[in-house]
Amino acid sequence: MAELNLVQAINQGLRQAMEADERVIVLGEDVGVNGGVFRVTEGLQKQFGAERVVDTPLAELGIVGASIGLAVAGMRPVCEIQFDGFLPAVMDQVICHLGRLRNRSQGRHTVPLVLRSPHGGLIHAPEQHSESPEAYFAHTPGIKVVIPSTPADAKGLLIAAIEDPDPVVFFEPKALYRAAKGEVPERPYKTPIGKARLAREGADISLISWGAMVYTCLNAAERMEGEGISAEVLDLRTLTPVDIEAVLASAEKTGRVVIAHEAPNMGSWAAEISSLIHERALLKLRAPVRRVGGWNIRMPMFRLEKHFVPDADRVVLAARQTLSY
Amino acid sequence: MPLRTVHEAKTERLEILAADGTVDKELEPKLPQEKLLEMYRKMFEIRVFDERAFRLQRQGRLGTYPQILGQEASQIVPALCLKPKDWLVPTYRGQGAYFARGMKLRYSLLYWGGDDRHARFPDGNNDMTFAVPVGSHLTQAAGLAWACKLQKQGRVALTCLGDGTSSKGDLHEALTFAGQFKLPAIYVIENNQWAISVPRERQARTATLAQKADGYGAFGLQVDGNDALAVYRAVSEAVARARAGDGPSLLELETYRLGHHTTADDATRYRSEAEVEAWRQKDPIARMRKYLESKKLWDEDQEARLKREAEEMVQGELDAYESTPAPNPLNMFANNYATAPWFLVEERQELERLLKLKQAQQEVVELPPAEGRFP
Repeated sequence: MAELNLVQAINQGLRQAMEADERVIVLGEDVGVNGGVFRVTEGLQKQFGAERVVDTPLAELGIVGASIGLAVAGMRPVCEIQFDGFLPAVMDQVICHLGRLRNRSQGRHTVPLVLRSPHGGLIHAPEQHSESPEAYFAHTPGIKVVIPSTPADAKGLLIAAIEDPDPVVFFEPKALYRAAKGEVPERPYKTPIGKARLAREGADISLISWGAMVYTCLNAAERMEGEGISAEVLDLRTLTPVDIEAVLASAEKTGRVVIAHEAPNMGSWAAEISSLIHERALLKLRAPVRRVGGWNIRMPMFRLEKHFVPDADRVVLAARQTLSY
Repeated sequence: MPLRTVHEAKTERLEILAADGTVDKELEPKLPQEKLLEMYRKMFEIRVFDERAFRLQRQGRLGTYPQILGQEASQIVPALCLKPKDWLVPTYRGQGAYFARGMKLRYSLLYWGGDDRHARFPDGNNDMTFAVPVGSHLTQAAGLAWACKLQKQGRVALTCLGDGTSSKGDLHEALTFAGQFKLPAIYVIENNQWAISVPRERQARTATLAQKADGYGAFGLQVDGNDALAVYRAVSEAVARARAGDGPSLLELETYRLGHHTTADDATRYRSEAEVEAWRQKDPIARMRKYLESKKLWDEDQEARLKREAEEMVQGELDAYESTPAPNPLNMFANNYATAPWFLVEERQELERLLKLKQAQQEVVELPPAEGRFP
């Protein structure tokens, strides 16, 4: 097995999906000649041609709307929105159509598209290039939302997303694009959508997370180990449909849960996970579930981003408060 | 029934000062000497700044930076056609336009240096902070122009966009409003030929972008965007029409982005050196210098003095940027609401405790005083 980073793993997944199914096309801003601003689509246009790897005009809403049309008509579009900060522009199509077409047409129209976009902060990017908008999507019925944190999961989840009969929003934590490295099987494979990954086993407290924040939780768990605390880290991988069994199993096992993520806390996906745990495992809990997220303000510009995105200090503090409840 | 023509359209192009310095005497605007010199000086200064800022990023002293190299005329001149109380709504590649309006360059450095303390326009100016998601400012500019119309003080709103942004639905909606309500709005397309790696011809099949104006009842014109005199004439006439209540304009200034999209981009991946070189020959600053020299308004000594002064000014701005104390992290809680709600009060206290803890661990050595309005 080769060791790949996240960019290389997603690239390989796209390449293999395109080789396997000629209905798969890639479209977006700068995805062709330039290979994407993060080089995720590097070399694809050369291999598959400009009809299947398409540099679109600069029009995000158009990219998603056209992808819906392509998908309904039988193609398998994988569209890219270049930065998370440009996603608000596509919500008209996402909320009004992407998640509703199957139901509105009573199953006659389906939208098997994948919408890829970078996610999260901490790369010193300009304003509106460091957002964590997953809750807007996860809140929208009818679509699936996935976010890998390892190269192997990135490839497997991407192939699963492309083959999925429903629309999948695929977030790529940009802080991990080159930083996350790992063994990735060469052959095509699928990582099941809807299944969490136990990133670390523990007995005293569960740290539930997704995306780049998984590594922050692993650091926090390691630090707590020195204090004699055994922390479990659950990487959700899929936000909708969330792996409720894995979440409840971990919560019931430790009785104490901290959910860590990058978005502002209020109305976040962490709030939903917390609510699910309280509703379904209340009597197994030994402390209220705590959320550690961004503050309820806009993502600041990058000189202060490390004071916005939770670090291991904040996760450890929340864990200690939960443990001493 | 035979088909009959119900509408015909044409789009004109304005050029006055050619790359070799020759000038069309009929179209040449009769500008006072000070205005011509101001245009040249500001274009020259912003280029000196642009090159320094680019090097600063390469040295790790600045974040991602979008160069305006080659676009000095289309950046500086439209802003010089406005009065301070007119609204200016630039693109993110707008440090030239802000500079022309009198904003100190240190604030552009702070913006691209990732510091939220950047929006310091001169008092009395009506400048908008720019919007990074491209095109999202265009309908707002229509609203600003609408307010100008309602407030009846003869103000106008001028906004800029790129050739890439001309593909966004926002422009359609903005021009629909501007045309429908006959707003005093000027939409300036800085067509620099490349939206990151995507060339102008992939944005629209049409011969020009200016011809889009025809669909909205706006005045459309293509302009040589590297010709400061043509830009001045086109924009100031559009401003005059807007002030007179004659409605909006869409001006396409044809220019060229000589640098990368930003410092995070590598333009050699998608365009040829020959193309770039051909545009270097159409440099807006060099041709303005030829013009000034032909009018005996400029010589070697003045050029040398301007170079020295520009470098000193830019160095001063750079020093001011680099000596700006680091922001206090608590600043981010200021200015989110007129009065901060309970959860921000709590969160600010939480961060304050956290910072004290980090100080105890010597992670954060020194905290400058907090700034901004809170609660």
